[in-house]
Amino acid sequence: MEHGKHVFRIVILVVVILTVVLLARGFLVPKTYGLYGRYRGANVGEQMNIRPVMHGGAAACADCHGDQAAKRTAGAHKNVSCEICHGPLGAHVKADGTVVKPPIDRSFTLCARCHRKVAARPAKFPQVDLDQHVNGPVEGKVCLQCHDPHSPKP
Amino acid sequence: MPEITGFSFPNDIHVTWSLMIVMYPYITGFVAGSFIVTSLYHLFDRQEFKPVARLAMATSFAFLLVASLPLQLHLGQPQRGPFVIITPNFTSAMAGFGILYSFYLLVLVLELWFVWRQEIIDRARRSRGMVRAFYAALALGTYDTSPEAIEIDHKAIKILAGIGLPAACMLHGYVGFIFGAIKANPWWSTPLMPVIFLLSAAVSGIALLILIYQLFARIDRRPVVATCVSALASWLWFFLILTITLEELELIVMAYEKSESWLIISELLTTRLSFSYVTMQMIVGGLIPFILLAVVVLMNRYLHERVRNTLATIAAFLTLIQVFSMRWNIVIGGQLLSKSLRGLRSPYEPEIFGREGVLMAIALFVAPFVILWIFDRVLGIEEPEGAGGHGSPPAGQASAGTPAVTHVP
Repeated sequence: MEHGKHVFRIVILVVVILTVVLLARGFLVPKTYGLYGRYRGANVGEQMNIRPVMHGGAAACADCHGDQAAKRTAGAHKNVSCEICHGPLGAHVKADGTVVKPPIDRSFTLCARCHRKVAARPAKFPQVDLDQHVNGPVEGKVCLQCHDPHSPKP
Repeated sequence: MPEITGFSFPNDIHVTWSLMIVMYPYITGFVAGSFIVTSLYHLFDRQEFKPVARLAMATSFAFLLVASLPLQLHLGQPQRGPFVIITPNFTSAMAGFGILYSFYLLVLVLELWFVWRQEIIDRARRSRGMVRAFYAALALGTYDTSPEAIEIDHKAIKILAGIGLPAACMLHGYVGFIFGAIKANPWWSTPLMPVIFLLSAAVSGIALLILIYQLFARIDRRPVVATCVSALASWLWFFLILTITLEELELIVMAYEKSESWLIISELLTTRLSFSYVTMQMIVGGLIPFILLAVVVLMNRYLHERVRNTLATIAAFLTLIQVFSMRWNIVIGGQLLSKSLRGLRSPYEPEIFGREGVLMAIALFVAPFVILWIFDRVLGIEEPEGAGGHGSPPAGQASAGTPAVTHVP
């Protein structure tokens, strides 16, 4: 095989590339991979630690806003948490105790997420065909002109 | 507001696999399709494909380099491109793509090297300084162009083409498998899916070669070899017939069975996909090129060369649209079904700008041509004058001049 020198060289190059890939694989697969499942096990703890707890739950809101909380729990929205419209508690009360005004989602799209007419929803669930239900343009805070989200009536 | 229709589940609203997932099988299809053409010459000695054999191989390589980009753009995590190859997760269907992609890339690069080796050495001998060092490195330091070494190259090319063809078919058949294996979706879940993907890959590859062969010939002011264009047109017709037949048979079986899923699939095809399926995939991209190619093939001897080339070019362009529509209808169409199979999700409209937008899709389609241009500058796609037999079968089987016409199907 006097004239096959180039074939030997390319074969050696391929073997070198495959070896590098295998070695790289050894370095690239994290040590805790497969600890719980097919992902890097240590990531669970890391993600938990880098994210401050933002949501406090409806009970935490009731500590300061008792009236509104009582009104909500007596109404049809008793299972809708405050933070769905008002944003997470962590954005309202900072870690050092300072209180900032929370961003409130009053858009019709938020209401429509649950109450838009969809055939697949349970028939008893209150839902409307927006174009027929609203007299005028369906935009902005149109739902709140008639409905009180803390104690909604049909 | 999203426009869902029928009994759609409330969380079945949006299409999440975007235009990029349409581009992924579209681009991968060119890889397999062009390789089939180059194999017809290198493996099956179809001399009529000699003028496009090197171009087809370079095209396959250029599109292969881009093939994983749509996925990375969709995921937004570029490192997952190499990671799917180096650290595959074998419970994921995509692990197979990583393995087949890297294996095919390896085989194709090796075959390219053997086909272009003499050219690399010639350029190394002609150049000086850094350029020479570059070509010398590409030649791996051996400048052996003796007839014995060239003979070894021919054997290696034949073996690699023999491995490369099933690898290319597996690579694209696998893309079909990724959809065909999703059993919850009746529009995808059929064992025909890999076959249809593979055949339409052949269609798109041949159609693309008809276009770029004539385009490059025009740019380089070279004559277009008539036998090559008519052979490509014949094979394009053959694969187009197979593809559309299977696409229709799949639908006819569903329609005749009238299984529970047919209710929603027929609604999907007549409402959301009426333009992209009926108009584009079946009529503009299917029926019209079928007729044009039938004219090219059946009336070949009566056609003036310009007429034949024009008809083949128009048909090739339309079949490219057919294949794109087919990818669109599979990828987007399948997602438009609600999991209830009683309703349809909101129609999908791709964004224009942005990572997964129309402009990015166009850029992805143009990128392989930029790679081809660079390839041409570095190695030269066209066989140099008088070189005779780069990558051609051993002497005695190949003729260096105008290829002899052999019969085509």
